[in-house]
Amino acid sequence: MTAAETVRTSDTTSAVSAPVGDPLGRWRRRIAYTLLIGYAILMFVPFAWSVVTSFKTLPDSVKMSFIPNPFTLQAWQYAWNEMQPPLPILFVNSTLIAVVVTLTNLVLGSIAGYAFARLRFPGRELLFVIVLATLMIPDQLRLVPVYLLMNGAGLTRGLGQYVAVVIVLAISGTTIFLMRQFFISMPKELEEAARIDGAGFFTTFSKVMLPLAGPAIAAVTILTFQGTWNGFFWPVVFLARPDHYTLPIGLYFFRTAGGLANDWPPLMAVVVMATIPIVVLYLFFQRYFVEGIASTGVKG
Amino acid sequence: MANVTGQAGAPRASRRSEAVAGYLFVAIPMLLFLVLNIGSILYALYISVWEWNIRSGPVSFMGLDNYTKALADPVFQTAIRNSIYYAIVWVPLTMVLGLSLALIVNQKLRGQTFFRAAYYFPAIASSAAITMLWIFIMAPDGLFNDVRAALGLDPLFELFGISPNQNWIGDQDTAMNTVILLNAWTTSGTFMLFYLASLQSISNHVYEAAAIDGATWWQAFWRVTMPLLRPGHFFVATVAVIGALQMFDQAIIGGGVNGDPNNALMTMVLYLYNAAFRQFNFSYAAAIGIILFGMIMSATLVQRRLFGAAPAW
Amino acid sequence: MRRSSGRRVAGAAIVAGLMALSSIPALGQSADDWASTISGPVVLSGWQSSPAEGNALTQTLLSFQAQYPNIPVDYQPLAGDYPTVMAARFASADVPDLFYVNADYAQQWIDQGLLAPLDDYIAASGFDTSAFYPGYADVFKKDGMWYGFPKDGNTIGMAYNTALVTTPPTTMDELMAAAESLKGAEGLTAPICLNAGLDRGLAFLYANGGELLNADGTASAIETDASKAAVQWYLDLFKNGLGMTAGDMGAGWCGEALGKGSAAIAFEGGWLDPYMQSTFPDTTYAWAEMPVGTSGEPVTISFTVAYSIGADSVNKDQGFALLSYLTGVDGMTKWTEGGVALPSRSDVPTPAGKDVLAAGSAYARPGSGFMPGWPEVQKAFADAFTAEIQNGTYSADSVVAATKTAIDTALAQ
Repeated sequence: MTAAETVRTSDTTSAVSAPVGDPLGRWRRRIAYTLLIGYAILMFVPFAWSVVTSFKTLPDSVKMSFIPNPFTLQAWQYAWNEMQPPLPILFVNSTLIAVVVTLTNLVLGSIAGYAFARLRFPGRELLFVIVLATLMIPDQLRLVPVYLLMNGAGLTRGLGQYVAVVIVLAISGTTIFLMRQFFISMPKELEEAARIDGAGFFTTFSKVMLPLAGPAIAAVTILTFQGTWNGFFWPVVFLARPDHYTLPIGLYFFRTAGGLANDWPPLMAVVVMATIPIVVLYLFFQRYFVEGIASTGVKG
Repeated sequence: MANVTGQAGAPRASRRSEAVAGYLFVAIPMLLFLVLNIGSILYALYISVWEWNIRSGPVSFMGLDNYTKALADPVFQTAIRNSIYYAIVWVPLTMVLGLSLALIVNQKLRGQTFFRAAYYFPAIASSAAITMLWIFIMAPDGLFNDVRAALGLDPLFELFGISPNQNWIGDQDTAMNTVILLNAWTTSGTFMLFYLASLQSISNHVYEAAAIDGATWWQAFWRVTMPLLRPGHFFVATVAVIGALQMFDQAIIGGGVNGDPNNALMTMVLYLYNAAFRQFNFSYAAAIGIILFGMIMSATLVQRRLFGAAPAW
Repeated sequence: MRRSSGRRVAGAAIVAGLMALSSIPALGQSADDWASTISGPVVLSGWQSSPAEGNALTQTLLSFQAQYPNIPVDYQPLAGDYPTVMAARFASADVPDLFYVNADYAQQWIDQGLLAPLDDYIAASGFDTSAFYPGYADVFKKDGMWYGFPKDGNTIGMAYNTALVTTPPTTMDELMAAAESLKGAEGLTAPICLNAGLDRGLAFLYANGGELLNADGTASAIETDASKAAVQWYLDLFKNGLGMTAGDMGAGWCGEALGKGSAAIAFEGGWLDPYMQSTFPDTTYAWAEMPVGTSGEPVTISFTVAYSIGADSVNKDQGFALLSYLTGVDGMTKWTEGGVALPSRSDVPTPAGKDVLAAGSAYARPGSGFMPGWPEVQKAFADAFTAEIQNGTYSADSVVAATKTAIDTALAQ
């Protein structure tokens, strides 16, 4: 039971005592619900269109219809058979990179975010400005110097290509920033209690603060995984061997099927397949947004 | 020994070990940032004052010529205007949307999980796929125009000078606003996540106290929630502005590498991209990058001064 | 596919070796002889626009491998934006041995010293460059030196819907008359689909006696009366409702407009054919050469891509061996026979169904990359032209002025 619910209950209670009582309140709720559901359904429209298109033939796909005519599985077969490299390899590469990058972001980002929020050290604010500064440099500008560096380190050949991509994406300023803001807004009493009990800085962080950071961790996980999964720029720069390609790169090659045409149906089939892992991940992690501090019993 | 407010007494030894811990905690990220990011900026700064050949390096010293050329170029001026306009309109719009969605989804509603999934959904698909779909929908004979004609809304749009067959993305007057709407819609889900994380850090007891004091939901929101969301607001606003001034993907997909039509979709990063990878003038592109960096840094520092005070001890 | 195609290539060479060897005609022997003395690996790179292209190239590489088993080919196409990824490669001297160079930026890459000059190799191997159409080849030369050979080409022709246009117009006046009679026809948004830029407009400019540059390319000629009149003529097509841009018709490009039936006439190249076959198989269309304008001469514009060797490429000898095959008679015949593109040599037979477009190869002028700063000139023209259309003013003056400024700036560098 969140506190917001408590507040709302009191709101409707006061509405009941108003002259125009319950029926209006109920109608307001109905309209609100309808709008919310309508907006929510609107969110699914693009994905629904993708799914529908994947079951169409190419000439049919350029028409504005929501029912495939004829309904065919040939796009899915084509996607499964014709993708070079094959879909399983693309999935493996994408998963490998996304998982590693998400983990590095979580570990490095939460530790650094905590330090920026709660630890005092000289030059902290300057260093944090540098963290922000990293967000202000477009990738296109970084391309040449970063590639020069990676090439010099021998990471543009063979398996080093994966390493290059991971290093470039290993930690993002956004992650540190998000974790810092979250830790800032947490009450200090917990840490003080831990420090009084003699816990060291890292123990305080890992045993006390981190377990409470569920929502922030969930946000970072979802956003980093999804951003890396859909990321195109750095993978395409470094992953030059086809068996290293990730899904977006595979999709790019696949998209140029038919010359200038976009062969929508198989493309959409691949898009649908590529979206599913993120949906699963999201559904799994979004439950952390309800837990929060409510379960920790902090005394005010 | 004077105490800094808020903390129990901190003796010198522990302050130093705190500093050491602090440095250790941020060491790896800072190292990566210094090499990959700050290094890139320094590289860009260096090459921007030389006539630069990508194979052989510096050719001749140019001083600030690249900078004066950029600032005098009407196309770059348009790019700056477009990027600023985009930021001014898109940032507040998407923040409001994201916060509203987060507030809604934070309630114990029926189907809460469904709403949480639905509102984030547009952010899940790759931006390229969504943008192409958007172009498809907003075409002159696309879904959007068909629907508004069917709903009889055409006369209303005519008032604003919108024709029934409006080419939303291809018309220099409407292209940018169309992209703003697209991005507001897709990014609202991401901001919703940020605000959700923030809202979760607000203890229930605060709300309970407010309720006991007889606050209505509206009052509780403005007097309690919003102030407590300050770190969240700062985060979202900062990240939003930084991202807005670098908008690129939709500009190049919607308007091509030239920011068609007639530079309506020319943004600063698209201009930089053009200079680097169409004109192969890397030192000029580096100068653009430095100017862009300077603008974003200034905007962020201003925001920080206004909204994001460092944590008080 | 690339690594396994390497193995596939080697394996297929054994199986098909005899057959391939027996089918090689006895032409260009000296280039072949030179290449037979070379051995070592070669890395080939470029982009791939369609699976048909990928297949055609693989077949061509297979026959190369059969003939030269000592030069294993490693084909690594690049994904993403080609000039962007190549820029990173050039900067770190990490370039493939042989790679695509689009005419759009060929001169820039040559100017920056990124491409290796080929004349020594031409002399050593005896490769015959005389058969290349000048319209395709000149863009890859500088100061008389070769920096790449065009691997194929495409000209712009007039594609018309045969159900709506019974006799294709042969002159610009006939084109206008045909468009007038088509105005308001069932289902048509506009008779002709046109691009508001020089990517097609240049052909119309040339056809009506206009020029961008003077004869030796040292000064702008866009402001002459003839040029301005030509630009105005093109603008008037939009003004009188005879032509419209693809975007305004709700299509991504004019091929789509033609296929959907929004337009009856479009000006495109050979890439239209596979698109129409796969996406709009029910729309019947045919090709005709570009209508002749007031200049009295047939003219069209061409687009092409070359193979080039990088200045920093490691295996330059092997690169040239592969290059001379791919752009020689045998290789180009194999590459173009499926209709993927037009041959850039006059001694290679025209692929089936491409006669009209191939006829243009003889008189086509380069559609890109023929002057320094071409992207900026193109952009200046397109921006001003689009503004004129969208503001409804349709005046060639501002277009000419903007283009002239861009040309002057480009030539001054």
